[in-house]
Amino acid sequence: MSGRRVIVVGGGLGGLWATLAIAAGGHRVLLFSLFEVMRSHSVCAQGGINAVLDGKGQHDTVEQHIRDTLKGGSWLANQPPVKSLCEAAPGLIRTFERMGVTFSRTPEGLLDQRLFGGVQHKRTCFAGASTGQQLMHGVDQQVRRLEADGAVQKLEWWEFLALAKDADGTCRGIVAMDLRSLEVQSFRADAVVLATGGLGQLYAPQTTCSTNSTGAAASRAYQQGARFANAEFFQFHPTAMLGEDKTRLMSEAARGEGGRVWVPRDPADRREPGRIPEAERWYFLEDWYPAYGNTVPRDIASRAIWRVCRELGQGIGGGDRVYLDLTHLDRGFVESRLGAILSIYRKFAGTDPLDAPMEIFPAAHYAMGGLWVDFEHDPATGGVAPGSPRNHATSIPGLYACGECDYGYHGANRLGANSLLSASYSGRVAGEAVLSHLAGIERGADSLAAAPFDAEVARQQAINRELMAAERGENPFALHEELGALMTSRVGVVRDNASLDRAIDALAELERRAAHMALGEASPWANQTLAHARQVQDMIRLARVMAVSARARDECRGAHYKPEFDLPLPEGRQEGPDWAHYRERWRANNERWLKTTVAEHTLDGPRIDFEPVDLSVLAPDQPRDYR
Amino acid sequence: MNSVRRAVRLAFEAAGSSGAGTTSSAVVGPEPGTRVAPSSTPERRTVELRIRRQDAPDTAPYWQRFRVAAKPGDNIVSVLRALRLDPVTTDGERVDPVAFEHNCMEEVCGACAMLIDGSPRPSCSTLLAELGDVIRLEPLPKFPVVRDLMVDRARLFAGLQRVQAWVRLDGPWVTHERAPRISQRQWAADYRYSRCMSCGICLAACPQFPDSAGDGRGFIGPSALAQVRLLNAHPLGRYDKTARLHAIMAEGGLTDCGNAQNCVRVCPKEIPLTTAIGELGRQTTLQALKDLFGG
Amino acid sequence: MPSIANPHFVLRRLHSLLGVVPVGAFLAFHLWENSQSRLGAEHFNTEVVGALAGLNYLPFIEIFLIALPLAFHAVYGLAIIGGGRAEPLRYGYLRNRLYWLQRLSGLGLVAFILLHVGMTRIAGLMDPAIHADLFGHMRGALSSPWVFGLYLVGLWLAVLHFANGLATAAISWGLTTSADAQRRFGWVCAGVGLLLGAIGTHGLVGYLVAPSGAGA
Ligand SMILES: Cc1cc2nc3c(=O)[nH]c(=O)nc-3n(C[C@H](O)[C@H](O)[C@H](O)COP(=O)(O)OP(=O)(O)OC[C@H]3O[C@@H](n4cnc5c(N)ncnc54)[C@H](O)[C@@H]3O)c2cc1C
Ligand code: HEM
Ligand code: HEM
Ligand code: SF4
Ligand code: F3S
Ligand code: FES
Repeated sequence: MSGRRVIVVGGGLGGLWATLAIAAGGHRVLLFSLFEVMRSHSVCAQGGINAVLDGKGQHDTVEQHIRDTLKGGSWLANQPPVKSLCEAAPGLIRTFERMGVTFSRTPEGLLDQRLFGGVQHKRTCFAGASTGQQLMHGVDQQVRRLEADGAVQKLEWWEFLALAKDADGTCRGIVAMDLRSLEVQSFRADAVVLATGGLGQLYAPQTTCSTNSTGAAASRAYQQGARFANAEFFQFHPTAMLGEDKTRLMSEAARGEGGRVWVPRDPADRREPGRIPEAERWYFLEDWYPAYGNTVPRDIASRAIWRVCRELGQGIGGGDRVYLDLTHLDRGFVESRLGAILSIYRKFAGTDPLDAPMEIFPAAHYAMGGLWVDFEHDPATGGVAPGSPRNHATSIPGLYACGECDYGYHGANRLGANSLLSASYSGRVAGEAVLSHLAGIERGADSLAAAPFDAEVARQQAINRELMAAERGENPFALHEELGALMTSRVGVVRDNASLDRAIDALAELERRAAHMALGEASPWANQTLAHARQVQDMIRLARVMAVSARARDECRGAHYKPEFDLPLPEGRQEGPDWAHYRERWRANNERWLKTTVAEHTLDGPRIDFEPVDLSVLAPDQPRDYR
Repeated sequence: MNSVRRAVRLAFEAAGSSGAGTTSSAVVGPEPGTRVAPSSTPERRTVELRIRRQDAPDTAPYWQRFRVAAKPGDNIVSVLRALRLDPVTTDGERVDPVAFEHNCMEEVCGACAMLIDGSPRPSCSTLLAELGDVIRLEPLPKFPVVRDLMVDRARLFAGLQRVQAWVRLDGPWVTHERAPRISQRQWAADYRYSRCMSCGICLAACPQFPDSAGDGRGFIGPSALAQVRLLNAHPLGRYDKTARLHAIMAEGGLTDCGNAQNCVRVCPKEIPLTTAIGELGRQTTLQALKDLFGG
Repeated sequence: MPSIANPHFVLRRLHSLLGVVPVGAFLAFHLWENSQSRLGAEHFNTEVVGALAGLNYLPFIEIFLIALPLAFHAVYGLAIIGGGRAEPLRYGYLRNRLYWLQRLSGLGLVAFILLHVGMTRIAGLMDPAIHADLFGHMRGALSSPWVFGLYLVGLWLAVLHFANGLATAAISWGLTTSADAQRRFGWVCAGVGLLLGAIGTHGLVGYLVAPSGAGA
């Protein structure tokens, strides 16, 4: 292998794709992951991945995919990357196909597609209801082949702790900890890609995310100078199972395939749901949004459920839950298309969704925000310039980010099935950008002085030593629970400034307390408490970025909703004086707020800035109206 | 039910009893507008966990007992998580938190497999409601213990390398050819194998899967075989069928299966492992004939 | 041709094949043969043993179609048993119990066959009188309840081992693939086993109850 060495941190879809692209360019990849890469959160994705194949006679077009994505994200996403994303989707699906991914099929043997939220075309490719796992199998196998060939070396059970930068501030490697021996070591590389996933654990246990979606890695990069964008935009998925340890997702595909959301008209109705006649059910999504019905985008559906339960007191039994009903559908059909989620529900709730409706409520799901990444606009195509070293570069030279830990494609709200797409696509683009970046490097990281690496190792070891030595202090697991409760109640589906102010104070207090933790164990081997304690510290710092960003944005956009600043849509079909007036206010609001929030780390906490959104593809001409 | 619990927890925290003893009353006020669903008070019980612990790979295992208050709907992972907050044995001794692995908590990542009352199972989807009041937890057998209930399943992944469980792509770039067609019938059969989550439960239960990796040529076990079955059926994967078959016709391959069929009974994802084994039996038989009389 | 060049696959498949034919086939034939004990000493000694003794190339057949295949199957079988680790209690599924019984019966059969062949064929070589009146010899031996018990156990172990072996061989060679097919064929094999067992038991009892001596 004559090429250079690149570090990829994270073995979900994003990281594995980046690995493939970099290895295909002839370079050696060190792939870091907290555990075997096949256990990454990406395997949890259920519903599907979007790509316009137009196989369903609906005249679907890539332009429509771009429009749906931009509009679904309340126009906040930079448009050239979205354009390129949607254009690349069909090719990406074909590549997955070649890898052997078991996509579901039509009777003609072609890729089947289903309906997802926020769109009116069947555009979502899927593999039963375990799409993420299937896509992961595809790329994991490719990477395993590279591993067998020696092009990729996996460092599983290693945790990324910090970036190692040279004197110019260029990222030249990382410092990581072996989660078994607790050894802290530096690794040099000519480029580093972070693909460390989401941060739903900030809301634990009310989240659909895996326990490793902590955002700690992104937080570490942020604390070392990487900018963090749009942190206030965090998606709550409308349909999660109730659960105390975790709220498990019931994919949007359930509604895409015909599932209906309803509550009894009388919240005190004690009858079995099956015995409640149609006339006494309230299908509130269909009522409020006749055009999209049950497949409105997630922010809208979550707020609707919130409103029904919290404001109207119409939740089942007056509580925080509504029905997601599949019982009217053909059993065999549902089983073949949604089997994986049916079995989750059966196993964890003990009832069969084919016999009785599921009980669901919104839960923390997906971070639209993330590490700020660049792109190079290609005027010739209107998309991003292929292979530009700027694509997916963070604000730290030599450091790239892709997957859910970047902020790239979803603006203020992600459409369902767009993030398996963006994670995969961004991984590939980041990988290709790294190839160009490597071409421009003169001195390899191996020739650098050892000092900055050793200094960072020493700093990280000191943190470990201090944590290990503390006899008295906070329990990291308990602090994590507090963090989750705080974020759920104060930085949740509905926000207000007074509450956010309290959240910011409370987070500062949590951060102070987290500086004094006691692990309750001093084992020098596979000490999980140590790793968790470090993550909790970094999670709290990231939570602060989210709260401060949310506080800074006084409007309603996508998932970020402050009722105080709401511009309610007028009645009717986008015409008449009410609408003209509304449009005016909407435009004025965009003037003021249609911009990217960018947070930078300072010793006094996050400093918030705004930067313009690239709107060069499609002028924001439509308020979001899914009625 | 959920909101009751949340309300209870928030009330708890508002009262300042969260954290390890420090008062934090200002941190979390009661959630605005939380509504308490009137539901019957859930039944609570106390269970005893008997956990086989081991501090490091080369130290002797020992047993410890813990009593934990179980809530309805609890699973093994959720009680182990709760136990981390306050790991005190029934003898009142404060000990190191129990090390265990988990990620998805919904039976798709495969991390959390262990022996529960002697049976290998994913601990996240094993509900306390199915178990008695005394529960025995041991690390998944056949794999070296890392610590407590954590094991090292590198062998499982090495097996996938041994059988070349991949499609040999020219590269990950986009080609402009349409994807190959696959009938719904074939899809339905293939998809079942692609649900494998590499948990190793089938391997733990297979009497032919050796206790230790040895020279790395022992039986690869059913999970890797199932992937051979899957990839051999794919329109492109088929091109390397012969290589994969030759790999499983070597030492530690298909022929080392003794048809005990525990694998298919314990696999939490209900993967038809023994059907794969039968189909590979046929494929290897034909391959041997081809090798003998063919080219 | 790695699969052919690699002895591992060939040996395993040979072991399986030999278990069915000739060893299994011999067992079926052998039990049918012995079931004719019921027809009396005269018939048995002349029509059955005599007819066989008259076979051309008999020693060749005995060595190459019976002794060597059986010896190979047994020795390689012992090696296979050494590599497994049956847990019939932890996993109480039928197939797993049968896996364990296959090994247990294999071990039992080594002992039984050594004893049995020693008492019959080898003894016959040493003492031609035995061979001349096998019926009488067997009747004498089987009159002892211990020997009778030993034979009964050996017989059923062999039948169980063969019937289950037939079922697993069908999976190993890929004749039965789906779980349903495997289950259905399993029942067929159980039927074959019962039939063979019944024939064998009939033969054992036959030695004791059939009329002895010439002209009965
Ligand atoms: C329940 C659920 C269902 C979903 N369903 C869909 C869907 O149907 N369609 C869709 O498009 N999207 C879906 N999503 C979103 C989608 O799954 C994720 O956005 C996507 O998988 C993220 O992939 P990733 O590669 O960025 O990160 P992950 O898959 O989360 O991978 C993160 C990787 O980073 C590693 N890592 C993290 N921190 C460190 C560290 N400090 N050191 C070393 N390694 C580290 C981890 O080991 C892991 O390998 C779903 C999300 C959830 C929660
Ligand atoms: C029903 C119970 C059985 C009876 C009554 C019986 C009887 C006999 C007799 C009389 C012989 C001597 C044949 C001769 O010397 O020509 C013999 C030989 C033999 N028996 Fe059995 N047998 C029985 C069961 C079995 C079983 C279960 C096996 C195991 C496979 C077996 C294997 C053999 C073998 C290998 C020989 C030597 C054959 C040869 O070399 O010709 N027998 N048996
Ligand atoms: C003498 C001692 C014997 C021993 C130690 C022995 C051992 C074994 C073992 C261990 C197996 C299982 C192989 C595997 O699953 O991989 C087996 C299979 C088998 N045995 Fe035997 N056996 C013996 C005698 C016999 C006899 C006498 C017969 C015939 C009646 C026989 C017929 C079979 C058959 C048909 C199989 C199935 C092979 C397969 O599954 O592919 N065996 N034997
Ligand atoms: S086949 Fe089943 S039991 Fe075996 S590793 Fe895969 S999912 Fe786990
Ligand atoms: S349990 Fe083992 S022996 Fe074969 S049938 Fe399954 S692999
Ligand atoms: S935690 Fe993922 S399978 Fe149990």
